[in-house]
This record gives sequence, C-alpha cells and structure tokens, in this order.
Amino acid sequence: MSGWYGANLILVQNTFIGLVLALSIQFPMRMGVFSFTGAGSYGLGAYLAAILVIDHRFPALAAIAAAMAVSLVVSVLLGLLVQQLDGLYLGMATIAFCLIVSVAATAGGDLTGGPTGRFGAISDFTSGHIYVIAVAALLLVALTEFGRVGRRIEAVREDPELAAAVGINVRAYRLAAFAASGLLGGCAGAMNLLARTTITPVDIGFSLVILALTMIIVGGIRSWKGALIGAVVFTWLPELLAVVGKWEHVVYGALVAAAAIWMPGGLYGVWSDAKYRYRVGRRKAPSGADRSGPRTGAPELRTVGEGVAEP
Amino acid sequence: MLQDLLGAVTLGSIYLMFALGMSLAWGSIGILNFAHGSIFMFAAFVGYLVLAQSPLSLIALVALGVTVGALLSVLVHVVAFEQITRWTKDHRTAEMQILIGGIGIAGIPLALAQYETRSNPFGFTQSSFQPTVHVVGDLRVSDLQVLIVVAAAVLTTAIALWLRHSRQGLALRSIGVDAEVASMMGVNRRRFAIVTMAVAGGLAGLAAVLYTFYVGALTPESGETLIIKAFACIILGGVGSMAGVAVGAFALAFAETLVLTNFGGLWVDAISFSLIFAVLLLRPAGLFGKKAVRRT
Repeated sequence: MSGWYGANLILVQNTFIGLVLALSIQFPMRMGVFSFTGAGSYGLGAYLAAILVIDHRFPALAAIAAAMAVSLVVSVLLGLLVQQLDGLYLGMATIAFCLIVSVAATAGGDLTGGPTGRFGAISDFTSGHIYVIAVAALLLVALTEFGRVGRRIEAVREDPELAAAVGINVRAYRLAAFAASGLLGGCAGAMNLLARTTITPVDIGFSLVILALTMIIVGGIRSWKGALIGAVVFTWLPELLAVVGKWEHVVYGALVAAAAIWMPGGLYGVWSDAKYRYRVGRRKAPSGADRSGPRTGAPELRTVGEGVAEP
Repeated sequence: MLQDLLGAVTLGSIYLMFALGMSLAWGSIGILNFAHGSIFMFAAFVGYLVLAQSPLSLIALVALGVTVGALLSVLVHVVAFEQITRWTKDHRTAEMQILIGGIGIAGIPLALAQYETRSNPFGFTQSSFQPTVHVVGDLRVSDLQVLIVVAAAVLTTAIALWLRHSRQGLALRSIGVDAEVASMMGVNRRRFAIVTMAVAGGLAGLAAVLYTFYVGALTPESGETLIIKAFACIILGGVGSMAGVAVGAFALAFAETLVLTNFGGLWVDAISFSLIFAVLLLRPAGLFGKKAVRRT
C-alpha cells in the first residue's frame, strides 16, 4: 500500500487539488451563476503564491491564505461588476476574465516570469496539507447542500424571481457564489503551485477551463459528489488508459460535449435519476397502477428530483 | 501611420469575416457556437496538411478552407446543438448547454492540431501563391490585403442585403424574433439553421485561409483568442446586427493596432477582453442593438 502510495503520490495530490478546482466552478453553477471565475482565480492564486514564496520567502500556509484573500477580493469585485449579467453573457465575461489573467501572466515581466513562468517555489508544504485543506473545502461545500441553505440555493437556481419573492436575497447569494469561487479557485491554484513548485501561463489558460468543466459536467453539476467523481475520474483516466493518455485532450473535449448533450446531470445525475425511478417504480408496481404515468412525469420532476431523491 | 491604418483595415476585415457568421447564427437561430474558433483554425490546418502533399493555388486553398469550415460547422450543429435544443425544454438551459458543449467540441480540433504540430505554428509556405507587394507612394500594399478587404466588404454587404430584402432573409430574421411563430408561418427552421451554420463555417474557413497567408503562420491556439475577440466585436455592435459587427470588428482592429504600435504586442489581447466588460456594463445591447426581444 505504501509502495503504491509513493509511486502515485503526484496523482493522489492532483486528485485533491483537482477536486478543489472543480468545486470552485461547480459551486456558482449550482446556484445558477454561469461563471468561470474559479479558473481565473486559480491562475491568480498560483501566481500570487509563487511570487510570495519565491520572492518573499513566505511559509506555505501564509502564502495560501494570502492567495485566497486576494482572489476572494478580486472575484467579489468581478461579481459586483457583472451582477447585471446572466446566462451566456456572464459565462463569456468570466471566460474573458480567465484569459485576462493568463495574458497578464504572460505580459507581467519579471514579476510573473513572462512566458516561461515562475519556478523553484520550495516551501514547507506537504501532502498532508493538501488532504486536510481539500477535505475541509469539500465538507464546507457539501454542508451548503442541506437544510435551509441548500433549499435556498436550489430556489435561487431554479427560479430567481420566485426566490426573491419569498424573501431570499438573491443578489447576496449570487455574490456569495463569486466569493466562494474565488476562495476555492485561489486555494486550488496556490496548492498546485506549492505542490509542483512551478507555474507557466500555459497551465492557466483555456485548457484549465476545459479541464474544470470536464470534471463537473461529466461528474455532475448539482452535487459535491459529482465534483468528486469528476476529479477522481479525470485525474486517473489518462494514467489507466494509455490510449487516453495520448489523446487526453481529444477525449476530454468529446466527453464534455457528449455529457452536455445527453446527460446534463452528469454521472451523478444519471445515478440519482435511476435511483429515483427505481423507487417510484417499486412504489407503483404492487398496486398495479399504470406505469406510464410516473415515466412521462419523470423529466418534469427531474429538476426537483435531486432534492426528492436525497434522503 | 498610413501603413498602420492599412494594417488595421486588413485585420478588421479578417475579424469581420470571422465574426459575421457567428453573429448571424447567434442573432437568428440563437446559437453561440464556441467551437467557431476551432473550426477557423482547423480549416487552415487541413489546408496545411494538404499542402504537404501537393502545392495548391490560392483559389484551391480558399475552396478547401471554405468547404472544411462549412462541413465542420454543420457537423457540430447536427451532432451537438440540434440534439441539445431537442432535449432541453427552456431556452436558458439550452443556451448554457450549447456554450458548454461548444467549449468541449472546441477542444477536439485544438488537441488534434496540437498533437500533429506539437503546438508549433503552421503556415502555407508550400503554396504556389505568395503575396506580391506593390509600393504606392510610401505605402506597401500586397495583393492579398486588397483581396481580404474586398472579400470582407462584398460578403458583408451581400449578407446584409440578403437578410434585409429577400424572402429567405425575412424568414431567417423572423426565427430570431420568435422561432415558434416563425415555424407556424411555414419557415423550415431546421433547414435555415443548417444553411446558417454552413455559411458561418464557410466564412470562418475563408477568413482562416486568408489570415494564414497574411500573417504567415497560425498557432493551434489562435482560435481561442479569436473567439473572444469576435464575441467582443459582436456585443460591441449588437447581436444580430450586420452593420454592428462591421463597426465592432474595425473598432477592435484599430484599438489593437493603436496599442500594438504604442505599447508593444503583449497587451494586445487584453483589449478585447476589457472591451467585453466595458460594453456589457455600459451598453449591454451594443451600439446598434435593438431593444432586447425577451424570449421566455
């Protein structure tokens, strides 16, 4: 076991870091905020941590905290800036933000190291830190799926007008989505930098957006379980299948497209749908009721089905 | 100075040809194709691959680029976007899924080209056509530049006139206003969507071939920044407005040339990104945008 762990240390670390990155994009999407701020914050956090650790000899945790604080401020400001926008426009504006970060990283001169990036960020960072931080982040995000907060988030996603009408401060929730996205993204970026010790503009460009999207779209967008599934699958898939390793990015693109077309709920969505249908089917079967009723009703119920299926 | 102006006009024409099809599709059939940039890049890439086998002339390369662009665009539409609009009920979810699906698809040609070229730039050096430069006074004009500007002007005018004055143009515009009522009036939505996507892809392919000749080489990643630039052009002018796209494309090209000559090339790409924010904040409907038709 320990031999396996040693051999696959980098992949294990990547799984946890990928999980935090996936959560940073998934959290706003779960609130219906179509924002890619998390990917931009990831780049911001990674570069900030690199500058702090290499130039100012910050200890690891202080660098992560500083990176998170700055990306929090930046993404809340961005959230305020784009609060009028919705849907497509918001998505494209936040993609533009991610690309601004990578342009700034390329053009930043000595501070960001230009196209070659920064390297040699050696600190007191250990794998233990990654696991503790990632699990803490996962728990915090998972907590927002239950109880009052969970129901409010669902209301804000499904029908913002209705949510506002029943007294939910939709604007505050949407800003919170940006804040969480900045914190998680900055954290993931800083951790990745400290674990890998290098960062280049190539690492934070468009491919990062695709990777994060792949994880949550294929895993599932509605639940932290989806992000977890996505992070595990897409960290280990290229390793397990040599073919996938070679055509990694082609496969990712195809999977995102396929998932967006045929299973918008992701793998987790498919599973929870199946579970829900099985329950409904079993409840109806003994009474001999007409089965076509629940079956045609199922797509209608799917939007709220997640909440129903949860124990 | 005049030389820079000419460069800006040429660049603007390329942006225009690229953004025109995107704006047409978005404004009428409601599809913002994020894979448009990848289609652009891949059309030029196929040209590069074929050139390795036999030296083609300009005309053959343009024909190849247009065909590849149109075919890819229609393929993406039929395989992905049509399915998404069929399976989703409301417009908002469909829009998001189309963007996500487009981002995914955009990754496929990109990865293929990156794999084949090892992320190096590729060009058309083996072509039998090479631009010749004429000197007029202090100005250096290549025949390619003339071709680019003329092609953009003619195509934009033709599409704008067709959209405004022909029956088919009216039908296409009516889909943009209310797709359901349009189909009740006998407009074949599916056919119009496919034709629109083919035109958009063809324009992207044409722009790609001309642009590759113009700048010498294309990187596999060039589609990504271009899609954001086109988005900036479109929303600056107003979605669906052909005059708007033209204004947006040239405004962006002039702004970029200005920054390039005064501050150097590193910050050029940041202009379009900041422009997006500025427009969305100050005038979300764009310069020529009509009052938004709310589709629920």
